Amino acid sequence: MTSQTLPQRLLTGPAAFLSTLAAMAQKEIMIMLRYPVEFVASFGQVFLIVVVLTLAGLMFSPEGVGGGGSTETTGLVVYGFILFMFLSDTLWTIGYNVHRDQKQGTLEVLYLSPASKFANLVSRIVVTLVWTGLMCVMAAFVMSGMLGALPLHNLALGLFVLVMALSGTFGVGFAFAALTLRLKETAQTVANLFQFAFMVVCAPFFPFAALPEFMQWVARAIPLAYGVDAFRSTLMGFPAGFPELAPIEMELAVVTVFGLVMPILGYWLYRREEDVARRKGTLSEY
Amino acid sequence: MTTTLPGRPTLSQNLSAALAEAQLRFTNISRYPGQLLTNIVIPIVFAAMPILLGRATGGASAEANFAANTGSGNFVGYLLIGSCVFQFVSSTFFLVANWLRFEQETGTLEAVYLTPTSSATLLGGVVLYSTVRSLLPALIAYVVGCLVFGLNPLDGNLALALVFIAAGLIPLAGMSMLFGAVVLRVKEANALLNLMQWVVSFLMGIFFPVAVMPPLLQFVAWLFPPTWMTNGVRSALLGVGYFFGAWYLDLAVLWVFMFLAPLLGWWVFRRTEQGIQRNEGVGQF
Repeated sequence: MTSQTLPQRLLTGPAAFLSTLAAMAQKEIMIMLRYPVEFVASFGQVFLIVVVLTLAGLMFSPEGVGGGGSTETTGLVVYGFILFMFLSDTLWTIGYNVHRDQKQGTLEVLYLSPASKFANLVSRIVVTLVWTGLMCVMAAFVMSGMLGALPLHNLALGLFVLVMALSGTFGVGFAFAALTLRLKETAQTVANLFQFAFMVVCAPFFPFAALPEFMQWVARAIPLAYGVDAFRSTLMGFPAGFPELAPIEMELAVVTVFGLVMPILGYWLYRREEDVARRKGTLSEY
Repeated sequence: MTTTLPGRPTLSQNLSAALAEAQLRFTNISRYPGQLLTNIVIPIVFAAMPILLGRATGGASAEANFAANTGSGNFVGYLLIGSCVFQFVSSTFFLVANWLRFEQETGTLEAVYLTPTSSATLLGGVVLYSTVRSLLPALIAYVVGCLVFGLNPLDGNLALALVFIAAGLIPLAGMSMLFGAVVLRVKEANALLNLMQWVVSFLMGIFFPVAVMPPLLQFVAWLFPPTWMTNGVRSALLGVGYFFGAWYLDLAVLWVFMFLAPLLGWWVFRRTEQGIQRNEGVGQF
């Protein structure tokens, strides 16, 4: 009897969860290190995105490339870019990895192992977030070097908003992973369309005031938009006209609820879709 | 009476195989209409970023500042053209690379290489598909983008702009083979391909004139065919000015690339392919 219960005890509880998480994260890091070109290229890619977007913004400056932008513009663009980078990771990484495992034929095998599936999914994000954090620091230096001094106020509150926004999008990431199981290849297209909608409606690269009136109302219906607005307004020290969508107290409340509720809802959706796929035997179909 | 040696397909057979490969890709993409929609949406959204930022931060002087920096006050048209040409160029490159990567990941690349059809024929079919598949959404995106941002898509010398695009097709097809060679050599090349896409966007001056670059980078940009295509289209539609002052001189440069780029692309692809076949084989990824 003891020999039957011992493995179960080893595979449940916080210690087992953390052990699985560490092992899976280690596997992800190992894969990253096995492809050093990819590792370095992702740094270069972020650098170039930053340069291209910054040069585009400077074309509207009276002094052009030699001049630089205002402090407000710098804060708007740099903080928007940082949040966009983090949100892109948390939104799509889980679903992308599920799809990759399907394509490589390893998803079903992973499901047959007794390890925590939640830890397996979370591990994909952990490594990416650390990596993205490093790239964001680099991007912030490059952009502020080209555009001008970066305003930095209310760091603790800014971090709180970032964590809540990431937690919320983490939940959306689970929901997207559920969509991957349901829509298979089409899910990538849907993800792309959502990402573009996010780039416009949640305005990470420009003020909400630049959007037409009706789109500003659409933005007000999306919790993530409050995250973008609250994050950059807080770090910019609430200059005149910021935050744009609602008073900061209300934005903080929306972002906090989003960060607490969405992961639970998203994971519930994922488990539900996973059960359907297992019953139908379509887990490895893509 | 002439007989065809077994294993040596004729030109018409090769052409037929290339067209069959292209048809296969078109049939495949017809099952995912959302991907085509995405290709139309991407350049519009991508151009919208700097347009909205410029409108918000530049205010009333946005047009004047933009004209002083780029040579055209029509910043919507300028950015939209850059974005659409970029989408066309990067998609052409990416689709060829994606074909090889998909075959690698699904374990079918080695099987493809074992068929009597040469890789050149198959690559030709894929290049044909990727060029058509990339060009049409980019043209539609330009028209839709113009309508969304309140521009007349028929303004400017449209015929000359199309001539520049047509002249750029073959150099692009040739360069897309370089992307294929990268996938064969590096394998897990997603990040590298993404990086190369942004290198492309930077060198072709997607949202800014190449004149803002340091001299050495300007020289590199001039060796890159899409730079000439983008500037040619912008000059024809917005009058920003040709690199050599006259449209036919810029077009002549594209004609030179038309001969050089396919030769270079094929030479690099073939060398990479042969090296891999001699060593680890094409099955590994």
